[in-house]
Amino acid sequence: MREQGRPERRGRRAVPPVLLAASLVCLVVSTRSLHGVPAAVGLTVLGFFQRGFAAVGDFVTDTIASISELKRLRENYHELAAKLDRYTNMERGMADLREENARLREQLGLSAEIGYQRIAARIVAKDPGNLYSTIIIDKGVGEGIRKNMPVIAFQDGIEGLVGKIVEVGQAVSMILPLYDSGSYAAARLSGGSRFEGLVGGQGSVDDPLIMKFVKKRAKEEVLFGDLVVTTGYESIYPPEVAIGRVREVIDPDFQTSIDLELEPILDFSRIEYVFVIKPTEIGPAKAAGE
Amino acid sequence: MIRSIIVSTLIVMACDFAQSTWFGAIAILGVIPDLGLIVLIWVSYQNGYVAGSSSGFLSGLAQDFISAAPIGFNAFIKTAVASAAGLLHGSFYIDRLLLPVALGAIGTIAKAIVAGLLFLVFGSKLHSYDVFDAPLWIEAAYNGLAAPVVFLLLTPLKRLLRAERGRE
Repeated sequence: MREQGRPERRGRRAVPPVLLAASLVCLVVSTRSLHGVPAAVGLTVLGFFQRGFAAVGDFVTDTIASISELKRLRENYHELAAKLDRYTNMERGMADLREENARLREQLGLSAEIGYQRIAARIVAKDPGNLYSTIIIDKGVGEGIRKNMPVIAFQDGIEGLVGKIVEVGQAVSMILPLYDSGSYAAARLSGGSRFEGLVGGQGSVDDPLIMKFVKKRAKEEVLFGDLVVTTGYESIYPPEVAIGRVREVIDPDFQTSIDLELEPILDFSRIEYVFVIKPTEIGPAKAAGE
Repeated sequence: MIRSIIVSTLIVMACDFAQSTWFGAIAILGVIPDLGLIVLIWVSYQNGYVAGSSSGFLSGLAQDFISAAPIGFNAFIKTAVASAAGLLHGSFYIDRLLLPVALGAIGTIAKAIVAGLLFLVFGSKLHSYDVFDAPLWIEAAYNGLAAPVVFLLLTPLKRLLRAERGRE
């Protein structure tokens, strides 16, 4: 009896090492970026459940919030009715201005303003852990979303950069937000100085963004509150999308460039809806990996 | 044992889904508790390392699919932590407060150590905790505080989650 039990027990003892080895194999394969298909399939299947959980959460939250919402809606209605009157008057002026703007652009020889096709999506989930910062949205391959498409959002009337698509499932997609420590975007100062650099995150939604590799001489010209936007050069991101405002200039002696600490233009913790920008509008070659 | 592995894996996955969808509201400085890890520690402690590591591997793999982490990252961490918790199987009597707090907090630190080791091997392709940064310690404290509640909630499911005796 004892003799028979030994191999079985030994076999059981081998289970954790075998599983650890299997995890390592997965890790080796995936870190070499060979994970496209299994990752997309996994995201598709599990994203379905994630959407279910998000829907239940939304239902409960909405039900509770709807009571106070009704009162607020009535107040908003009166406020908006007054605003509508004002905007009706402004619209007339706008039409004139638009016409004048088009005429002036034509005179200056500028091409027509680039318009992006935006796919609106709702954020349904975030990363289940604290180490990685991902955002899951409720649109996927079916809606025309592809890997590496840039994602923007509007907040308080300002268009800001959110990040890029890193994985796409059938009905869900995964965004790598700009505040993730593995996320980078080519950027420049929007004012007269136009200094360029590389903006990246520090891994937390509460931490400022860091703009690296900015020339030392920018130190004299950069001002607190200067706007930083995407360059659009050889980048998957469209140009002139706001990223953040300068909060602090860091000038380490040992570095040949300075770092700028940026206050993100978007409050990432409050974003509910985002817009995925179709790559055809910003240059077909930029959808790398597609 | 297979039933126990399947049920515990599904519970850990449900915790991961809840963490990714609902827990943003209870985040402290952007840090959410890892209920899946706490469930895994409990299951491993109750059932031993074979059942625990199997649940850890499967639920970790599922977590990798809904995270930006490379596939295998969470699978490795959860398998390792579950195996370690499983080795303690039956060593202590689990009281209502102190041991759950200790297991929750130490489990989080073990997770950080394993993530750190993987970071050493695979480099910047992976993320790891910074010992000098608040998130690790907030998560450890959060998990420590949440563990007694989670352990208590899991007690009625003991029959469902417990692997048959005498198998290990």
